[in-house]
Amino acid sequence: MRFHERFAEKNRRYSGNSLAVFWIPGMILVGIIVMALLVIAIPVLRNPEYLAGAASDPVVFQAFLVTFLAGFCAVGILAITGTPLAYALSRTDAPWKGIVETLVDIPLVLPHTVAGLMVYLLFMSRGLLGAPLGEIGLTFEDAFPGIVAAMVFVSIPYYVNAVREGFGRVPVQLENVARSLGASPIRAFVSVTLPLTTRHIMYGALLAWGRAIGEFAAVIMIAYFPVVISTLIYYRFNTGGIAESQAIAFLLILLCLVLFFVFRFLTRRAGVYDDRS
Amino acid sequence: MIAVEEVSLTRGNFTLSRVSLKVPEGSYTVLMGPSGAGKTLLLECIGGFKKINGGTITVAGKEVTMLPPEKRSIGFMYQDYSLFPHLNVEENIAYGLKMKGIDSRERTDTVDMLLSSFSLSPLSRRYTGSLSGGEKQRVALARALATKPSALLLDEPFAALDPDARLSCMDEVKAIQKDNGLTILQVSHDRDEAYRLADQVVVMDKGVILQTGTPAEVFSYPNHPTVASLAGFENMLDGTTGVSEGGRTQLLIGKGSIFADGIFPGGARVLACIRARDIMLTDPAMVRDVPLNRIEGEVVSTVVTDQGYQVRFADPFSLTIDIPGNQLSKVYRPGDRVVALLAPEDVHIVRLPGSPVNGGSAS
Repeated sequence: MRFHERFAEKNRRYSGNSLAVFWIPGMILVGIIVMALLVIAIPVLRNPEYLAGAASDPVVFQAFLVTFLAGFCAVGILAITGTPLAYALSRTDAPWKGIVETLVDIPLVLPHTVAGLMVYLLFMSRGLLGAPLGEIGLTFEDAFPGIVAAMVFVSIPYYVNAVREGFGRVPVQLENVARSLGASPIRAFVSVTLPLTTRHIMYGALLAWGRAIGEFAAVIMIAYFPVVISTLIYYRFNTGGIAESQAIAFLLILLCLVLFFVFRFLTRRAGVYDDRS
Repeated sequence: MIAVEEVSLTRGNFTLSRVSLKVPEGSYTVLMGPSGAGKTLLLECIGGFKKINGGTITVAGKEVTMLPPEKRSIGFMYQDYSLFPHLNVEENIAYGLKMKGIDSRERTDTVDMLLSSFSLSPLSRRYTGSLSGGEKQRVALARALATKPSALLLDEPFAALDPDARLSCMDEVKAIQKDNGLTILQVSHDRDEAYRLADQVVVMDKGVILQTGTPAEVFSYPNHPTVASLAGFENMLDGTTGVSEGGRTQLLIGKGSIFADGIFPGGARVLACIRARDIMLTDPAMVRDVPLNRIEGEVVSTVVTDQGYQVRFADPFSLTIDIPGNQLSKVYRPGDRVVALLAPEDVHIVRLPGSPVNGGSAS
């Protein structure tokens, strides 16, 4: 453990006993999450035939594949477009900055059905973006790009806000020094600012990905097919009953837990320097 | 040489107004001023980080006004050194060489040479977060010098160091500057730094250059109240000029008066600047016949200092007086009646803004 990590540890740990006062109300929330996991897990584990059925069902496999792939595509698009936006927002004091920040936050406050309606109207075959993109062969209605578009739309604030926060923590003086040493603005960004924001970028990507794969309302409004996992769970809930949907939900939870854990484990050391203040 | 001519910049409520200064080739100039004077802003303008509204900036004979920072060949060092925390010492020093496309063999040679000359070789693989203040400063200097800049801009480079490290770091920087013939412009608010390092001192306040000269000139003969305050005059007394005769001018201060060398027009508002160490304190009975600048008053308070002790004196006006440790034969206490003696040549007069300026000649 490096010196500054040890120092941060020392400053973070609480030495008194009264932390219990904070734990007790906090545990109510944790308890609700644990109970919610148990009401899914216990029936599934009692009747493993449903779990085996779901795990071997090609439709379920297909839905997982589409969901996770669309999630990765959405995060990729956000990384390419959201990272520069987050940087620009973090480095400007322009009077219109607040307007852009509010616009970025809009998907956060809208009901998901409204977000879905907006995505549909924008990307439908006669939509403002859907029509010209349709001309070049990119269709969104009931198609994979439609799922990605809905996922991108609802995850924008999660990614942009997390990354903007990271850029804000990199002092502009570091970029100035890099420039004085011969780096162009882009090279200073790539060689200094970006590495120091790695952790925030990864955190933003994880949040955005989680938000994207969980999206239901916005996705079904533009693309009911190909079926994503949340659509499939809802469909099986209505047609096959609770037991069937529970098994798929349990699989999703299991996969997400494993993926999140692996991600956090692999990235635990990445970008530790962006906590520099 | 760095030449700044008529540089102007407005940033919110703050304005740099037609600032001009010259840092001669191979010299060390210290830019001083109170907080908010615009020192760092001026440095950032020279470095190219802030776009100026008017004027020109020339570095080593080349006009750089419109050039981006990476094309100016100016090294820049901030108060916190702004080392790249994701790179180790060696990579920090090599950064500029890499950006300039120097091939890896030459890069390694230059970095090795700098690591060794800055005594950083044992730290080459260390990350910057674990370095001491002095080590960080050496890395920042080595990094700035690696690309052989035409000039170096330092923004309060010693402010973050503890007192012991400060002195040795200052000596190191001065030695490096002399050995390499570097042109350095450094921001500071510390007079001792200026005395120790500077060939030239430039004082600015509120975006305007007030005075330029050698440290001795600027601190002994300030021409503005702000410069006098930076020069460390413990006594800065508001007064009005009275009659002048025999090369001296009477100054009316509070309920009393003193004489200062120099002829000044009467009725002008001035600041009489007197160093605490230049005033002598004695018993009234001892100096009954002194005709000039014999000020009788009362001791208000005393404070022990590392050089002796300091007396606050009042009535007819307040004075701060340093009593050196080797003159402790008589210790004054609050309430004692005393006489302060003062040579007219030790009274430096600064005209206050708005007062008449014609006909005066300061000491």
